[in-house]
Amino acid sequence: MEDARLTSEAARDGAGAEPHGIRVGAPRRLHSHSTTMDSSHRPLAFNKMEALVQEMQDIENGVPVRSQKLFLTSIPSAFMGYDLIEWLMEHLDIEESVEAVHLANQLCQYGYFFPVSDSKNLVVKDDSSLYRFQIPYYWPWQHRSPDNMEYAIYLAKRTLRNKQRHALEDYELEALNSLKKNLASKWEAITMHAEEQVRLAKDRKKGDKIVADSQERAYWRVHRPPPGYTSLLEPVPVCRGRGGTSSKKRRGSTELHREVQFLRSCLSRTRVKTSVALESLVQHCELYLEFDPLLSGAQPCNPWHLQPSEEPQFWLYNSSLVDVPTEKRVRRWALSMEDLVSDETGLHEFTVYLKKEYNHENIKFWAAVKDLRRSAQSQIPKKVKQIYEEFLEAGAPCEINIDGKTMEKTLEEMKNPSRFTFDSAAEHVYTLLLKKDCYPRFIRSDHYKAVLSNAIQPSTKKRFFGFGGPVKKKASSSAATAASAGLQTAAAASGQSQSGFGAMSTSKRRGSDRSLTGSATELGTGPTKVSHSHSQSNLTEVPYSEHGESDDARPESDNVCPWDTAGAGAGAGTSRASIPATLWEAGAGPLRKHSTQLDPDSGSSSSDVSLLAGGDLGDKFRSCEQRLRRLSTTAAPARPAARPSASSSSASAEDIIGACKTSQPEPEPFLQAAQEHSHEPRRSVTSLSPGCSGRRPLACKPPSISVSSAQDVEETSGETEKEKEKEKEKEKEKAVEKETKEGKEKVGEKDKETQGKERLTEEPHSKCENKDKALKKSDSDVCPWEDEESCKVDAPFVKTYATLGYL
Amino acid sequence: MAQETSSKFDTIESLTKEADALKLRLEEERQKLNDVTIATVADRLDVINFLTIKVKRHLKGHQAKVLCSDWSPDKRHIVSSSQDGKMIIWDAFTTNKEHAVTMPTTWVMACAYAPSGNLVACGGLDNKVTVYSLNTDDDVSTKKKTVGTHTSFMSCCTFPNSDQQILTGSGDSTCALWDVESGQLLQSFHGHSKDVMSLDLAPSETGNTFVSGSCDKMVLMWDMRTGNCVQAFEGHESDVNSVKFHPSGDAVATGSDDSTCRLFDLRADKEVAVYTKQSIMFAANAVDFSVSGRLLFAGYNDFTVNVWDSLKCVRVSLLYGHENRVSCLQVSPDGTAFSTGSWDYSLKIWA
Repeated sequence: MEDARLTSEAARDGAGAEPHGIRVGAPRRLHSHSTTMDSSHRPLAFNKMEALVQEMQDIENGVPVRSQKLFLTSIPSAFMGYDLIEWLMEHLDIEESVEAVHLANQLCQYGYFFPVSDSKNLVVKDDSSLYRFQIPYYWPWQHRSPDNMEYAIYLAKRTLRNKQRHALEDYELEALNSLKKNLASKWEAITMHAEEQVRLAKDRKKGDKIVADSQERAYWRVHRPPPGYTSLLEPVPVCRGRGGTSSKKRRGSTELHREVQFLRSCLSRTRVKTSVALESLVQHCELYLEFDPLLSGAQPCNPWHLQPSEEPQFWLYNSSLVDVPTEKRVRRWALSMEDLVSDETGLHEFTVYLKKEYNHENIKFWAAVKDLRRSAQSQIPKKVKQIYEEFLEAGAPCEINIDGKTMEKTLEEMKNPSRFTFDSAAEHVYTLLLKKDCYPRFIRSDHYKAVLSNAIQPSTKKRFFGFGGPVKKKASSSAATAASAGLQTAAAASGQSQSGFGAMSTSKRRGSDRSLTGSATELGTGPTKVSHSHSQSNLTEVPYSEHGESDDARPESDNVCPWDTAGAGAGAGTSRASIPATLWEAGAGPLRKHSTQLDPDSGSSSSDVSLLAGGDLGDKFRSCEQRLRRLSTTAAPARPAARPSASSSSASAEDIIGACKTSQPEPEPFLQAAQEHSHEPRRSVTSLSPGCSGRRPLACKPPSISVSSAQDVEETSGETEKEKEKEKEKEKEKAVEKETKEGKEKVGEKDKETQGKERLTEEPHSKCENKDKALKKSDSDVCPWEDEESCKVDAPFVKTYATLGYL
Repeated sequence: MAQETSSKFDTIESLTKEADALKLRLEEERQKLNDVTIATVADRLDVINFLTIKVKRHLKGHQAKVLCSDWSPDKRHIVSSSQDGKMIIWDAFTTNKEHAVTMPTTWVMACAYAPSGNLVACGGLDNKVTVYSLNTDDDVSTKKKTVGTHTSFMSCCTFPNSDQQILTGSGDSTCALWDVESGQLLQSFHGHSKDVMSLDLAPSETGNTFVSGSCDKMVLMWDMRTGNCVQAFEGHESDVNSVKFHPSGDAVATGSDDSTCRLFDLRADKEVAVYTKQSIMFAANAVDFSVSGRLLFAGYNDFTVNVWDSLKCVRVSLLYGHENRVSCLQVSPDGTAFSTGSWDYSLKIWA
């Protein structure tokens, strides 16, 4: 290839002498083919341009070139701007002259022709201004980029000639002076060459001389542009393709073997008819045409058509997780399973639907595997284990149903845990169960229809709610994220209210969303913040890039399978925190965030504290409580219940001790930290034990730490038998009592601290409730933690109100 | 000794012969199924003649050629890198600069946003891929981490749907997948014989494939899991500067130094369309599809952006605006706009 190119260049060089037969004035090649450009990669564009320019110079069909009269002088070998443009349009089928002018300007800037009367600006105009072709010798990329010797000779030559016509420009003078300095040793030779060239030029005819001079000058105008003018011939330091030529030569038999093998595999590939392939491409475009904002517009309008000062509504309507999606968006979910699950809101609705069908373990599994595949290397073994215990192990809490063959394969893969361990199982679940079964049913379901009919049409006037707050507050970094965070807050709020409402249809829940959203954003704090900050802290870590947020946003409501709350709990956060911390050479940022979480004062799971940094927290909290009270028992019962109450009766705790003996505890939606992190109900108990059974002064112990230590316990005590567990449960219940009393004593202290403790007391307390309920439900077939009924308000909740007032 | 060399020569010769024969057969096989052209299939579609795309934002602030840019997943921020080693994070909507980082190298040829929007990766002539965290209000440059190193310049990089991994392409003619946290090389991809210029991930979330374009004129499809090349497309006459998956995931568009853009279909296993015009003679540096896949935007060395109807194979619009070559072009994540970066030191948002 290289050789072929060289010969073709040589041929062109030869041809170059033809058009005007003037080459005498050209600088000698002082260093033949020594410098850069020859060896590097010649862009194909130059071949195309050269071919075109050669066509242009065709005597019969080219651009008409003749001596042009300008006033009294005759200008040899020139052509007019509009002749050139017309020729280009005709020969290249260009419809609009703008394009031809643009192309002509490009060619001019590359130095294929140049304006006769303007030596500074390389601009082509569509008028009678005159231009002249450059001789091929001076074409760009013909030999190499010119060196300074040549430039020095050229400049020296001009100083030797008529001052009036050849005087140097200021920048050229400067260049000459610096060259004189740099090339001082060679300056004698340079002057000699210059003198020689001037002498030779004198012998030529006047017309030829004018043409040659202008061409040489234009050449240097291109290669040594005046300051402030850019050149298109700037060399790129990246020598493309250099590695290739050498590797081609040393291509050995192994590479060839590989190529042959690859080609063989290509032969056996199954292909479809071109018509089939193209038809599906066309169909795809037809199908998605209405969703293409650049072709079909956006509702309410394309954000980029707005002024920077205006509010881009489009992004608010379409942020990743919304309460009420737009109608267009919901319709898109029906196009394909990929469209559904790649949209966070879509994935959420799908999960909600599957949950109603008690069929959600597949989508959870699929999401977990997807997350695994994109996890950091260090997390792989842990996550593989988690997934196995969660979904595959016999009797796992979310056991999925896969055929024996796939199971076998997966177990085989388990021996070497990798990102791809569960791929075959996930593939099975995705294509056979989700895509062919669940997805079509979802699209036909009333749930989907309800979402669709409730969806909004953004073209209608703003009837959007609750959005303004978070967006305006966080104008700085990323408004969109803030907006989505706001939505998550709302979603979480709804989750909490849901647990209060017990079983309700989704469409109804949406209603409650709205009412709570308003209050939540108004208050700017309160219980809803908890999940808000969860999602935020998760954003910083991004352990679950796709589905994680959605899960985290609704840990409370969706707590069907303990697995998905694992990402939400601050306990999980802390265990993960160490990773991002080490990630950065100076990892102060993420680290700091987590350290706030670890702060004993703020309390682990109450990351609301970390968010509401400082003293206003107490006030806000109080006002929020009051607000919630006013919201009356219907709207808010669940949350305040979970909220604390140091005084929350030891009596009720006692009741529950009895209950516990017979029942399995269940993790309740509004439980946080430890429970959320725990694997299954059984363990959630054990995980609390280090803090409780040990009777350590919990009040001063940061709960998140207790959680991480709980993990260890969890692992060691994973095998413990039921009896032992029950014992622990008992112990724990006692601990609850003690704690609650302790908490009561200290309630009067700083708000912050109290809250930290509330957290602690809240956990065991709400646990107690669960057990209480679990007892009631123990005979039911329904998986206890799936049953929303169990979230119903119980007597103890009433008392919490009193506590709130006390606060 | 002599015998040895001759036998080796023989095998190389025979292997070359076999490879050539296989190539011929492959081409035959492909031609057998080549029953129709794209233009005839697309005949039933309406002509696009209502396109009014204009410059909506002009991002000025770089002091040198803009070489690469990438949209943030939040749909309004952009990271761009330039020849002088600067990397700038823009709020493209307001045109404000939010961060500026000076890299210890010139020609930062690649930059990419992580899916979370909290990290950016970049690199270039330093042969490295460096990750910066955008998570704090502090100076971004203080939180950096070098993840991977190639033996030649890094020309392109992307996060494969995860903040934990980076996929890079390099002038050393390989692609590589790195673990961000540990800097471990998870997988390398050998197969190109010259510089890799561009790569793109398959749009399917479950997909494990990506495509790369190289100066060896080849477009290769890779299995990220095994590191094997699974499909190869030939057709370009010069360097492939840009590759992009069709939103359907069934085809790949390319932009090349031979001034054409092409469309290769994965299932038909062949080139199905060439987007070219006699009047276009400069290299196409970057291509991207609109959401539906109907429009193909391509940025060229002649400062222009050509908008192609990918199915009818005609140009629907020619956009002027930049004053030097268009080095990068990308449609925003929600398809509402596309960005271009240019050697004229600026970026533009078109919608």
